[in-house]
Amino acid sequence: MQTEMSVPVPSGVAGGPASPRTRVAEHHSLTTWFRDRRGRGALEVTILFCLLQLGCIIYWAIDPKKFAYLSAANLSVMSQSIPWLGLLAIGAGVLMIAGEFDLSVAMNMGMCELVFIRWYGSGRSAWLCAAICIVLGVAIASINALIVNTFHIPSFIATLGMASFWWGMQNKYVGSGGPAPRIDDAKLSPQLKSVISANLGLGIRGQMLWLLGVAALVWVFMHRHKLGNHIFAVGGNENAARAISINPRRVKWMAFAVLGALAGLAAVLQGVQQRTLIPGSTAGYELEAIAGAVIGGCSLRGGKGSVFGMILGVAFVKTFQAIVLLSSLPAYYLKVFIGLMTVFFVIINQFFESKAE
Amino acid sequence: MSAPLLELRNITKTFGKNMAVKDVSLAIGQNEIVGLLGDNGAGKSTVVRMISGVTKPTSGEYLWNGSAIAHLSRSVTEGLGVETIFQDSALVDQMTITRNIFMGREMTNRLGLMKVKKMDAISSQILDSVVTIEGIRSPRQLVGSLSGGQKQAVAIARAVHFKRTLLVLDEPTSALAVRATEALLAYLGQLKAEGVSSILVTHNLHHAFQVCDRHIVMNHGEVILDVRKEDTTVEELTAAVVGGRVGLDELRSGETARRDATR
Repeated sequence: MQTEMSVPVPSGVAGGPASPRTRVAEHHSLTTWFRDRRGRGALEVTILFCLLQLGCIIYWAIDPKKFAYLSAANLSVMSQSIPWLGLLAIGAGVLMIAGEFDLSVAMNMGMCELVFIRWYGSGRSAWLCAAICIVLGVAIASINALIVNTFHIPSFIATLGMASFWWGMQNKYVGSGGPAPRIDDAKLSPQLKSVISANLGLGIRGQMLWLLGVAALVWVFMHRHKLGNHIFAVGGNENAARAISINPRRVKWMAFAVLGALAGLAAVLQGVQQRTLIPGSTAGYELEAIAGAVIGGCSLRGGKGSVFGMILGVAFVKTFQAIVLLSSLPAYYLKVFIGLMTVFFVIINQFFESKAE
Repeated sequence: MSAPLLELRNITKTFGKNMAVKDVSLAIGQNEIVGLLGDNGAGKSTVVRMISGVTKPTSGEYLWNGSAIAHLSRSVTEGLGVETIFQDSALVDQMTITRNIFMGREMTNRLGLMKVKKMDAISSQILDSVVTIEGIRSPRQLVGSLSGGQKQAVAIARAVHFKRTLLVLDEPTSALAVRATEALLAYLGQLKAEGVSSILVTHNLHHAFQVCDRHIVMNHGEVILDVRKEDTTVEELTAAVVGGRVGLDELRSGETARRDATR
């Protein structure tokens, strides 16, 4: 949840001194808890997400053969596809809260993944390769931050250009016409495989733990740390933040850097899972990540969003993917669904935003 | 006599070819409430923005306790203890009241994690005690859901909570109800007793006359009148604000004429 639930404070309890009633009422109840969360990003998507899951589970309970939703095979697929997109969506969401976009995040991730596959494939330590991946991700995102901060151009167009740049650089790195790098089966250490994607039971894979761990860290950073508060402030009203002596450039760079680090980590997760990557094949992830963040309640105008919502947004997208796969619908339906869903959620989030207190 | 708390010497500010502030010199003493008056477009807000460090003057000096500040910026003035309530409130609509009040100055532990409940409690308390405003339910409400007056109350609450040496209020009463205005003006007197100087920017002369020790009137980017409360009247201030130098001259010659007539 976006903010922790407050413990009800008993006032005027028999025996205790009756505290004077203040006008800014400090009494807590389920109603005030609800009113403090309405329209702030996470509540509405949580309710809809629960309804969607309930629907899928009922369908599965009625006809487990035709719609194998809670089967080990499906849980395995979902728990491997949600995490890396979830990491990208958290990154995209944090940046959206800061009021910026990064359309080059998919190409950033692809570049990191190629570096990881090639370096790890040539026998270097997994820790070293993962660290390099994350540093590279931060560096690529920092270039975007530098361009946006220095020249004051919209990040949308700056990063669109950089996306194309890094797509080209991926091809240059691999060598034009050369085979895509891969990690040979024999070279992938069982330890690394189990650290990243151990079967946790019921088919659920270890990547989920990575996502949840990182999400918890980013949640604390965004919703409890002062630097996260500065990101919200700059995205919400840059002039107000500046008037109170927050440096918007530094804060924006920080948001870009978070996105870069998460793109690097997503590259490691997917690299270990796929063990090969065709340059440029990550194209489109940036839009799915932004869709996930938007479905999860992030505002396109900045200043609003929650980490919890971002993960649910991605889980939403991937649940629809599972529905399309399990019901043997043609794959293009997925694109249709994601498109409709994004538009639908932008509309309802805007509606609920106006109801926020 | 000790140096004034803040002194502006020959400050000029131009925006392109437009000269917003022309060779302004003024001083704010220790424990003093000064009214900065003038019609719309007189240059008051530009002076306020320079005093608070958000805008840099084109030329002129900024002195604090007698020593010149070389590189003026918001972080420098924040260090000096200048706190400003801007006309446009400078609040973030998407954030809660508490987070707006503590924005950039969060109460944290050593790791930088915010003490959320403590900040909420303090916000409630200052909203209750400083600015009496109706209709705020909880410090966890979003500022965007508040009315204009309530937003202004939050901005005022923020400024007075972080009071240190100089409080600058740019049109603070424009959206406040009568009772809230009275409370705020009374509070300025209380702050003065605690050693906080204030600059009250307003075009409500009666509010200014009620609490200010001294009045500075600006007109077309220049200071045309700088008088202590004892040496002036609401009529003189009105003439200066409405008529500028011409108005002042007319009033004075009128007074002389009357004096001559009665003699």
